[in-house]
Amino acid sequence: MEPRLPGESRPDWYKDAIFYQLHVKTFCDSDGDGVGDFKGLSTKLDYVQALGVDCLWLLPMYPSPFRDDGYDIADYCSIHPSYGTMDDFRAFLEAAHARGMRVITELVVNHTSDQHAWFQEARSSRDHPRRDWYVWSDTDDRYDLVRIIFVDTERSNWAWDPGTKQYYWHRFFSHQPDLNYDNPAVREEMWNVMKFWLDIGVDGFRVDAVPYLIERDGTSCENLPETHDVLKFLRRRLDEHYTGKVLLAEANQWPEDVRHYFGDGDEFHMAFHFPLMPRMFMALRLEDRKPLVEIVERTPAIPESSQWGIFLRNHDELTLEMVSDVERAYMYDEYAMDPVARINVGIRRRLAPLLEGDRRRIELMNGILMSMPGSPFLYYGDEIGMGDNIYLGDRNGVRTPMQWSGGWNAGFSSADPERLAQPLISNAMYGYQAVNVEAQRRADHSLLNWTRRLIQARKSTPVFSRGEITFLKPVNHRVLAFLRTLEREQVLVVCNLAGTAQAVQLDLKAYAGALPIEMFGKSVFPRIGEGPYVLTLGPYDFYWFKLRRL
Amino acid sequence: MTSLLPDELVHELMAVGQVDVLVGIPTLNNAATIGQVVKAVHHAFGRYCSRERTVLINCDGGSEDGTRAIVRDLSMDEADTLTLRHSLRTMHRISTPYHGVPGKGSALRQIFAAADLLQAGAVAVLDPDVTSVTPEWIEALVRPVRAKQFDFIAPIYARHPLEGPLVSQLVRPLARAAYGWQIAEPQAAEFGCSGRFAAHCLDQPVWDTPLAQVGLDIWLTGEAVSRGFRCAQAPLGPRTVAPGPLRPGLAETFTQVVGSLFACLEQQAPFWLGRQGSEALPAIGPPLTLPVDAPAIDGERLLQSFGTNLVDLQAILDTILGPDTHAALSATAQQPPPRLHFSDELWVATVYQFLAAHHEGVMRRDHVTQALLPLYLGRAGSFVMQHAGSDPAQIDAALDALSAAFERAKPSLVQRWTGTT
Repeated sequence: MEPRLPGESRPDWYKDAIFYQLHVKTFCDSDGDGVGDFKGLSTKLDYVQALGVDCLWLLPMYPSPFRDDGYDIADYCSIHPSYGTMDDFRAFLEAAHARGMRVITELVVNHTSDQHAWFQEARSSRDHPRRDWYVWSDTDDRYDLVRIIFVDTERSNWAWDPGTKQYYWHRFFSHQPDLNYDNPAVREEMWNVMKFWLDIGVDGFRVDAVPYLIERDGTSCENLPETHDVLKFLRRRLDEHYTGKVLLAEANQWPEDVRHYFGDGDEFHMAFHFPLMPRMFMALRLEDRKPLVEIVERTPAIPESSQWGIFLRNHDELTLEMVSDVERAYMYDEYAMDPVARINVGIRRRLAPLLEGDRRRIELMNGILMSMPGSPFLYYGDEIGMGDNIYLGDRNGVRTPMQWSGGWNAGFSSADPERLAQPLISNAMYGYQAVNVEAQRRADHSLLNWTRRLIQARKSTPVFSRGEITFLKPVNHRVLAFLRTLEREQVLVVCNLAGTAQAVQLDLKAYAGALPIEMFGKSVFPRIGEGPYVLTLGPYDFYWFKLRRL
Repeated sequence: MTSLLPDELVHELMAVGQVDVLVGIPTLNNAATIGQVVKAVHHAFGRYCSRERTVLINCDGGSEDGTRAIVRDLSMDEADTLTLRHSLRTMHRISTPYHGVPGKGSALRQIFAAADLLQAGAVAVLDPDVTSVTPEWIEALVRPVRAKQFDFIAPIYARHPLEGPLVSQLVRPLARAAYGWQIAEPQAAEFGCSGRFAAHCLDQPVWDTPLAQVGLDIWLTGEAVSRGFRCAQAPLGPRTVAPGPLRPGLAETFTQVVGSLFACLEQQAPFWLGRQGSEALPAIGPPLTLPVDAPAIDGERLLQSFGTNLVDLQAILDTILGPDTHAALSATAQQPPPRLHFSDELWVATVYQFLAAHHEGVMRRDHVTQALLPLYLGRAGSFVMQHAGSDPAQIDAALDALSAAFERAKPSLVQRWTGTT
């Protein structure tokens, strides 16, 4: 039988995949209630497929009181009624698979909503059998070494339950009690949740907030060995029952700490590389490759079957947890002078506004992303340069409706505009009349079509997804240059991080005799010799060259 | 025509691009000390210039002891690396030979040319054999330029008022009276400046004169204060210099320093002749704690030299000095050393008459400055002996009084100077 999905015969398909993250709620509304749904999403699969996407990552689509935009799950094994039915979901999944695209869903393992039946039962009595599914204490001073993550809203990681007169533990919002993974029944139940969705056909999970599963006195309660035991348990079960599925870790930690989440290839298949992201922005603003090169060189090797997830923006703030104080201050000053743009320890902005709508910088950043080691994740709307609304509260400003056209509600919904799940972006620069899919589809040189070509170029060779990276370090620090190598294939990437033209001399004598062929226009450049290879680059220019021995 | 910036250096500078802070270090066989100076610069870049574009440029006069290799290849140990991580940017380090007449002038000219090419916001120049340099020195020399738009920053060193009598008895009070600015160290190897000032200096016809090789330190100060640039001082700390075989003796040092000062005053006369009184140059930074222990200076030995040489120089002094001054000097020299008192007024009159003679060219100018040396020894010896039991505050007050005496007598100098031009 022919494989149904590209690379189906390869269980590590995720290493070559382009991921596309979207929110069902704000992608496409089919029934005019102002909220996106699976039927609507299904109608847009051709669009996503044409972009070159291999796998969709859906933000939480479960029943939820929506006090954290769905990350407060009230029922793990259903679909939120606003998004449709289980049948709608199954139909969507089948349609995606039919187009050769996989789907991974959000799995919030660390905590539930306080509205989840498990917690309602647990808090009903100290003697309830589910009491021990959460973490309770008579005092609020246990685990006092643990940092507070949502510093803007929470003062403590403990919240008082007046009914049973104990505190419960929460690493995020107080309405999100942490599950107690010291209890084997909790682990077993979380596996049952995963199995439920895997049996329906989902291709894996983006596992939310993984470093915080276990609590121990005298520790930061992050990255504990016991947490890894829980995760290895889930992976073991996955491998026992399925092939070709992926577990992707959200662990906002330093690379050396995240490395442990790959285990020996027996924990997560993928993990996001959080510290890389702010350093790409930093390098661009500084016009200096130093922060980017430093973090990549600091990144440890990972098992052969593993892969980094890399991204420029996502549904959260541009997190600045994994930077130094000096770097954080710089990022705030350069990218979020308006204090409203700052939230928690980060910046709540989309890609285009962060780069002041500068097409050259948007292209360069995407060019760097697509050539770095790892599988790239695109955030819905960034492919057309959508804007944001920092006044919407929390991180909702980067979760506004997808802008499909310049017509009614940007083509997102037929509802009255007042009824939309999120208000549309309507300012003169990023509003849907100016920035939308319909218009950009028609223009060959639009950001949308350029992004499509970029993805095609990326996918034309496995060297980007599987190759080694070696930095060249020309004296001109404004130029980022590196080689990606996979067996006999080599790609040279040269990026000008500066807003001014730059000349650079590259030491390429190890490749003397090779012909650089530019990968977008297929132009042949002068043959590499023994001496310095001189290139000039316009402002924010970048080149990808295949080095051919012809 | 030889270019100031050889092609190889230009290639490196092109890659560096525009910079906010440039630190220049002229060297010649400084292998023993250059490493710690380079480290201090890198720590300064890491700690104080984390967001700024920086470059260290070493201009070397042909060292044969591996100085350039140390600058180029010095690696940072683990503690250094942690500090350096604070810098967000690449820190460039360049070592380049300079061509032309060996000496600080050629090196500094190349540093200024590089600063001009790179459009440097601020420049700091350091001596390669100062062992007490700290990262804070660089910050102190650079920050007023970057943050407050000053054009020239002279250092203030933490030293006992009896230390460095050539500066305290002659250079400082004469510069203060002439230029009208109170500058603690008018002739210092370390300084900070703006790119604007570096570009100005580059355009001046000083680089092919003897002044460029031995007197550039004082020329820079004079140029800054007399041409209307915004100037300030930066307290640095104690200045300790490593002993080295290349250090000139007292006679040579005296001739170089005084000859340079006189030459500068000659060149910059149009800018200072009309100035009266003096103003304090702002000091930016926390005040320094001064050492309380006086340096070991043998005042009596200085006085012996004064008496002996005064007799030998009768003929020359007759040409330079007025009869009253000459007679007063002779009378002073005849006093026995313990009671010998070389007054402020006599010293001021002596210096001004030497300066005027230098200006008028009554004899070879190096002979004029050489003849001043024994008189200086007399004045310095007298001052040291007179203040052997004084505390630093009393000595400071006495030095201030000397400067005031120079200021009071300036009209007589101006009158003689302008009367002959």
